[in-house]
Amino acid sequence: MTALLSIRDLRIAYRRDGIEVPALKGVSLDMEAGERLAIIGESGSGKSTLALAVAGLLARGSEIDGTINWKIPKSQAPHSFALPSVLPDISPTRGEISSSAAGSPPATPAVGETDRDSSISPQVGEMSGRTEGGAVERQPFHLHDRPLLLGRDIGFVFQDPSSSLDPVMPIGKQIAEVARTHLDLTWREAYAKAKTLLQRVRLPDPDSALHAYPHQLSGGQKQRVAIAAAIAAGPKILIADEATSALDTIVQAEIVALIRRLVSEDGMTLIFISHDIALAASLADRIAVLRRGELIELGETSQIVNAPQQAYTRALLDAHLGLDAEPQLDRQGTSA
Amino acid sequence: MSVLAVTNLTKRYHRGGKPFAAVDEVSFDVGPAETLALAGPSGSGKSTIARLVLRLIEPDAGRIDFEGANFLALSGAALRARRARLQMVFQDPLAAFNPRATVARVLDDPLRIHGIAPRSERPHRIAALLERVGLDTGLAARAIHEISGGQRQRVAIARAIATRPSLIVLDEAVSALDVSVRGQILELLLDLQRQERIAYLFISHDLGVIRAVADRVVILDAGRIAESGDARAVIADPQSAVGKALVAAMPKLIRNRP
Repeated sequence: MTALLSIRDLRIAYRRDGIEVPALKGVSLDMEAGERLAIIGESGSGKSTLALAVAGLLARGSEIDGTINWKIPKSQAPHSFALPSVLPDISPTRGEISSSAAGSPPATPAVGETDRDSSISPQVGEMSGRTEGGAVERQPFHLHDRPLLLGRDIGFVFQDPSSSLDPVMPIGKQIAEVARTHLDLTWREAYAKAKTLLQRVRLPDPDSALHAYPHQLSGGQKQRVAIAAAIAAGPKILIADEATSALDTIVQAEIVALIRRLVSEDGMTLIFISHDIALAASLADRIAVLRRGELIELGETSQIVNAPQQAYTRALLDAHLGLDAEPQLDRQGTSA
Repeated sequence: MSVLAVTNLTKRYHRGGKPFAAVDEVSFDVGPAETLALAGPSGSGKSTIARLVLRLIEPDAGRIDFEGANFLALSGAALRARRARLQMVFQDPLAAFNPRATVARVLDDPLRIHGIAPRSERPHRIAALLERVGLDTGLAARAIHEISGGQRQRVAIARAIATRPSLIVLDEAVSALDVSVRGQILELLLDLQRQERIAYLFISHDLGVIRAVADRVVILDAGRIAESGDARAVIADPQSAVGKALVAAMPKLIRNRP
């Protein structure tokens, strides 16, 4: 298989009060098309930074080094792809995310027939195999070459639907706007699409919901709307960043089931960011464990859950308070 | 005798011009050194009950007895004095404190306001409180915004126990913490309960946490009690629809332990 997404030695630092604070310290990972990858970690692990970097949503001023390469198979690519960024400003002088629709590694020529080179592909040939050699080609951003675009190619669902939805715009229009922007639809077509999407995310009474405002919906309903907007343009990649953390347990289970169904129906690739290892395990094929900016373990879900290699992963598993095992709390207690 | 007895407690609000009961004739009690959990989905009324018990809001009907006295009848100095015995810890300690205050200031306030220790003794008391909750005494000079979330929640617990309460209302007190920190804070709470005989009204949407710490559980749905009983028994075999839904919604982590 060829990697859809290939991240190499990604280093990201934020500037806070003039001090450089590292958020990611050299993370490398590959994702296959159609895969469901969970990225888990605690506060400050860098999991959200990684999600934002992949989506091209990092705050300007972030120091970025390393590569994020996308390779979109031809059959799935309605557009040409380049950078996973909608923010040209995030590319400071150091070369930073040198992303292109990278050439496949030399060992996998057979996949070539379904692969599609990016329109910024003069370097693609040169890129082949470079990552293994260590000398990674750096490219500046090429916005005019139609970068991989958030909304169109990547759907992003945030933790707090109240802050990702416009409070003074009817939700039907917010969803239709995404479809109209990316799919060349008329408003009438886009509204019809929005209604279909509201049905797909199982919002009750989609006809009247089109005209509702976010404050008229519950937290779970708002997250359904945010998901509808995220998938409105038919993205190939869905990133959910703690998308269920602000919801109660019952609504969380409903939203996870919704994400699972939509990803399966649309054949999307899923990146699911969570602090909850049990929740991640219920959804993902593979789990990546981040700690303090480093990827400390990556494996199949069953391997991570049953045979974790790292003590930290085991500690996360042991700290889970589920209904299926005795809680490992010290009830006799030592003062902590 | 129970520390807290709540009888037919009712609180109504208006939503879309229509009255609805956020809390509807709810009755329960909490014994000394007991942990009673309130569980339920969003909007089930559990946080409204917390605010009623703390008298941050007043009920429309019902009775609250705290330490054997009619808590709703108290006012002025008598209410303030009794409040020392009834403390609270919320989900977000950053929102519960003045972020610019130092840890020492946060712990000095209850000691001063409730006349627990004269000024000269307070630094010593503050150091003892910090040690009691597992914090380095050197943290006293730090600002609240400078310390970690787990440390902040320990300071919130230190502040709550400063007045030697008989009951602490814990409203989603561990929900925002990292799992590794959460376990330590729950262990601290269990230890304090055993040592100081403090009762907890433990509000959470997470049945896994409730199962780990609570003696009994009350499951709420739309302001009413759906079922209640021994926490492990109810969670193992819920009878109400909402109880079943809460259990079914918990993520399962099936591990093949060696």
